Amino acid sequence: MKEIVTIQVGDYANYVGSHFWNFQDELLGLAGDPQADSVFKNHDLNMDVFYRTGHTLQGIDTYTPRLLSINMRGSLGSMSSRGTMYKEAAPATSNVFTWTGGVSTQASEPQKKNLFLQSLYEEENQNMVNETSGSPSEYQDRDITESLENGVQFWTDYSKVHFHPQSLYELNGVWTDVGDFDNYGIGRDSFAWASQGEEISDRLRFFVEECDHVQGFQFVVDDSGGFSSVASEFLENIVDEYTNTPVMLYTVRGSGPKARLQSRNHKILEDLHDAISFSRLSSYCKLIVPVGLPSLSKASKFLHIEDEKHYHSSAVYAAALHSISLPFRMAPVGPTADACSVSGAVDFHGLIQMLSGQGRQNMVSILDVAMPTPALTGGKKELCLLENFQPLTPMISEDGEDLQAIEHLTVHGILASVEGLRASVCEVKDAVDAAYQRANTRPLFSHLSVARCPLPIPLPFPSIFGNQIGKYGELMSDQLTNSPSKGSLDVHSIPMAARLRSSSTVLPLLEYNLQNLHRYGITRGAAGAELLRGWGFEKEELVEMQEMLSKMVATLCPPELSSDSD
Amino acid sequence: MSLRVLNPNAEVLNKSAALHMNINAAKGLQDVLKSNLGPKGTIKMLVGGSGDIKLTKDGNTLLKEMQIQNPTAIMIARTAVAQDDISGDGTTSTVLFIGELMKQSERYIDEGMHPRVLVDGFEIAKRATLQFLEKFKTPVVMGAEPDKEILKMVARTTVRTKLYESLADQLTNIIVDAVLCIRKPEEAIDLFMVEIMHMRHKFDVDTRLVEGLVLDHGSRHPDMKRRAENCHILTCNVSLEYEKSEINSGFFYSNAEQREAMVIAERRQVDEKVRKIIELKRKVCPDNDSNFVIINQKGIDPPSLDMLAREGIIALRRAKRRNMERLVLACGGEAVNSVDDLTPECLGWAGLVYEHVLGEEKYTFVENVKNPFSCTILIKGPNDHTIAQIKDAVRDGLRAVKNTIEDESVVLGAGAFEVAARQHLMNEVKKTVQGRAQLGVEAFADALLVVPKTLAENSGLDTQDVIIALKGEHDRGNIVGLSQNTGEPIDPQMEGIFDNYSVKRQIINSGPVIASQLLLVDEVIRAGRNMRKPT
Repeated sequence: MKEIVTIQVGDYANYVGSHFWNFQDELLGLAGDPQADSVFKNHDLNMDVFYRTGHTLQGIDTYTPRLLSINMRGSLGSMSSRGTMYKEAAPATSNVFTWTGGVSTQASEPQKKNLFLQSLYEEENQNMVNETSGSPSEYQDRDITESLENGVQFWTDYSKVHFHPQSLYELNGVWTDVGDFDNYGIGRDSFAWASQGEEISDRLRFFVEECDHVQGFQFVVDDSGGFSSVASEFLENIVDEYTNTPVMLYTVRGSGPKARLQSRNHKILEDLHDAISFSRLSSYCKLIVPVGLPSLSKASKFLHIEDEKHYHSSAVYAAALHSISLPFRMAPVGPTADACSVSGAVDFHGLIQMLSGQGRQNMVSILDVAMPTPALTGGKKELCLLENFQPLTPMISEDGEDLQAIEHLTVHGILASVEGLRASVCEVKDAVDAAYQRANTRPLFSHLSVARCPLPIPLPFPSIFGNQIGKYGELMSDQLTNSPSKGSLDVHSIPMAARLRSSSTVLPLLEYNLQNLHRYGITRGAAGAELLRGWGFEKEELVEMQEMLSKMVATLCPPELSSDSD
Repeated sequence: MSLRVLNPNAEVLNKSAALHMNINAAKGLQDVLKSNLGPKGTIKMLVGGSGDIKLTKDGNTLLKEMQIQNPTAIMIARTAVAQDDISGDGTTSTVLFIGELMKQSERYIDEGMHPRVLVDGFEIAKRATLQFLEKFKTPVVMGAEPDKEILKMVARTTVRTKLYESLADQLTNIIVDAVLCIRKPEEAIDLFMVEIMHMRHKFDVDTRLVEGLVLDHGSRHPDMKRRAENCHILTCNVSLEYEKSEINSGFFYSNAEQREAMVIAERRQVDEKVRKIIELKRKVCPDNDSNFVIINQKGIDPPSLDMLAREGIIALRRAKRRNMERLVLACGGEAVNSVDDLTPECLGWAGLVYEHVLGEEKYTFVENVKNPFSCTILIKGPNDHTIAQIKDAVRDGLRAVKNTIEDESVVLGAGAFEVAARQHLMNEVKKTVQGRAQLGVEAFADALLVVPKTLAENSGLDTQDVIIALKGEHDRGNIVGLSQNTGEPIDPQMEGIFDNYSVKRQIINSGPVIASQLLLVDEVIRAGRNMRKPT
């Protein structure tokens, strides 16, 4: 078993993470549920890769995510930063033992738990008294999902996972409004490594120390604001401390219109922020996957996503992250062994080598997702497996024909036909092979991981499915219900496919960043030069970043083009 | 106004409104922190939205916990926090002093005085006060053996403002011993060499000083000993983990045997390293009287742990980077980065190494070391907020002791310095100043009194009475401070109340600078957003 430690930095990263862990929790729950589908019981996925076992001071065993989440103070809503499991033995009294003088209490208004969290809380208490009443849940599931639809304020509002007390770190002493914490400079100003960074790296050490053999860090960062500088400082430290442990970085950001007025200065600031954070972040990891479309609602025809709701968009990204992470926890089997429900295990190191190590050494990957993935055969529209992918990486060219592309594909829980039979691993493999044969452009190299276990839809999942999606994620053409979108009550699981692709189609994104850095930061009399100096970047540093970015561009440019530009 | 033309969304506060915004912000912040000051101040219990409790009496912690939004308040808070970063204490005093300077200035400005004149007065007064501080301070000769009593008094003064008396006195001894332990002649004191470890266990009075080190992890093998005596300690930064080679070899295996063979070959490298360590162990521990402990900064995987356990070696992995340094200082030997140059001289020594388990948390104690230059303050407490509070106090105490050793002087506390400095400014300095800047000096002098005033107020005494009594004593030439219990003037020297020289200096330096900047603001412009509306 090789462990993965997950790190989530920033608000949106935690939104994504919250969904991600909900999926994991649902998988764990279904594995132990006698009524659940058998694919969930023998999924051949090792959950220990993401989870750790421990026990509280009272000797109660715990199973919690191997996670370090960093966010602004006050972003945890009604959840205690110590989690719920490791409660102190004696209830916290208001007596102060350490001071004999006066005590003044400053209590902020308790955050009200929403319906979902209330029901979780109650369920837990009922378990404790061994279900004396046996009364049916007071809360109707429908009310719960509705309340979530209308009022998610914090990522904890829809989290059903118990976290370890070391997991949730709140950044304090940042004297700005959350809304103002929106650029690299302010993050850099308000984050002091000596005090806050030490504590963060200590907490990371806690999780790494207990790993026998850590396979890598899955690092999710909200790079739309000040947290990208927090993350880059943290990453720098990680690279220093755990030199040979690979880091896979997802940069995520929410969609939806920006609230504030877009003045020219603001636009420059934003562009520079993007360029700086991209180049800083990418310099400390082995593989970077930019995720986050400006508008997700247009990207998918089966999903109804409201862009302004982080709760919605993050669910899709989390699902994709979940799919990508499946091969890391498949039990590796020899080529001769006959695995019945998984195939194509690969570890962090292997995946990163595959995508960025060989050939062009391109470390920027594109994330695509097919959610839900149509059945292999049948259905009205004959949808090809490969053509169904929607990119989640912004600013990539539409018609990228790249003969040197490298792809890693994860397909799980796919149905063999519309009737709802799950395809076996071999069938999927054959179908994908056939699809590649048929495709116009084939990648240079592709790797396929298959699992039979679909994506389980937990109760707090948002209602984003279109009404042509059935209970097991099958696509139906005729059935129409009244509600425009379906949620977790109607859809129980979803077949998924996700793909990481190292391809030259990512060039526009790189070039855009490079251009902005050059235009606003480096040229003589650049509009943002002053700003960057305020962020603490010297000219040499910027030139270095520019060189790094242009190197990234150069590796992807076909040789004849790059000679032209010279 | 021209700005209106340039940006119709911009909002402008004119001269007096801008000034009052700044003054009010400074006063507001002062009000929040005021009740913290001194050994009679109130402790603040902060209860978060989710029920998390935080206890603090430390200005620095409190400022960081507050969600300050006002730009002026942020400016003051930054200064105060910087004060803490530089000298380790005095956050509350800085905020109070800035607030009081603004308050005193307000009086004069309302009477029509120009802020510029006040600021000039501040500058003169500041310089004079700093000169006075040089004369006023009590020199302490440090030499080879520092005067432990005076260090204790300084530490006690600080810690007693954070914790109740008997606990404070207990901690005082711990803190002074810790600093003296890590102190090396002719070298700056590196407080990082005092590890502060905490255990959620027992009570606050169980806090103690460990001469040696406490690590927050244990061995990861069931067969390793939990307690060992006479230990050789190997401090190293060597990966004992099977790692795939970085270069992508593109080697593909066609059957299970080949794969096995490859794994074994790669594994062998790690085993070789472990074997070298075992060799050393056999050399230095020929019999069963002594033991061998490895503390590694990098990882150690289960097969390596197995090999080590079979040899009776205790191995800890992923030690803190700083602990590598501390271990060497505590146990001797040196930290090695490669197993190729292992000699018995690399090894440190500890009389006792044992593990303590609390739930899922393990602690390893490395104790009974010879001549330690690093030590651990082990804080115990029944809950997190108690621990956090003791931690704050210990941190401040350590800094206070360090400052004293480095300053080679202390300043009489309990408000004695402030009153003396005021008298000096009013009686001597003011006369030498020409014109209206005199009033600036006067404002500055009165602002200094904020410390004794607040101390009196927090003790429930009458401020006026106290100040008059103190002034009277000083006019008679007696240097006195305020007794918090009786309200009578006392001699701080007799009571052993001393403050840090560098802290006082820093406060006097930075306070007027910020206050002057804020006073000279005559226009506040903010584009786009409404600043009067609370956000």
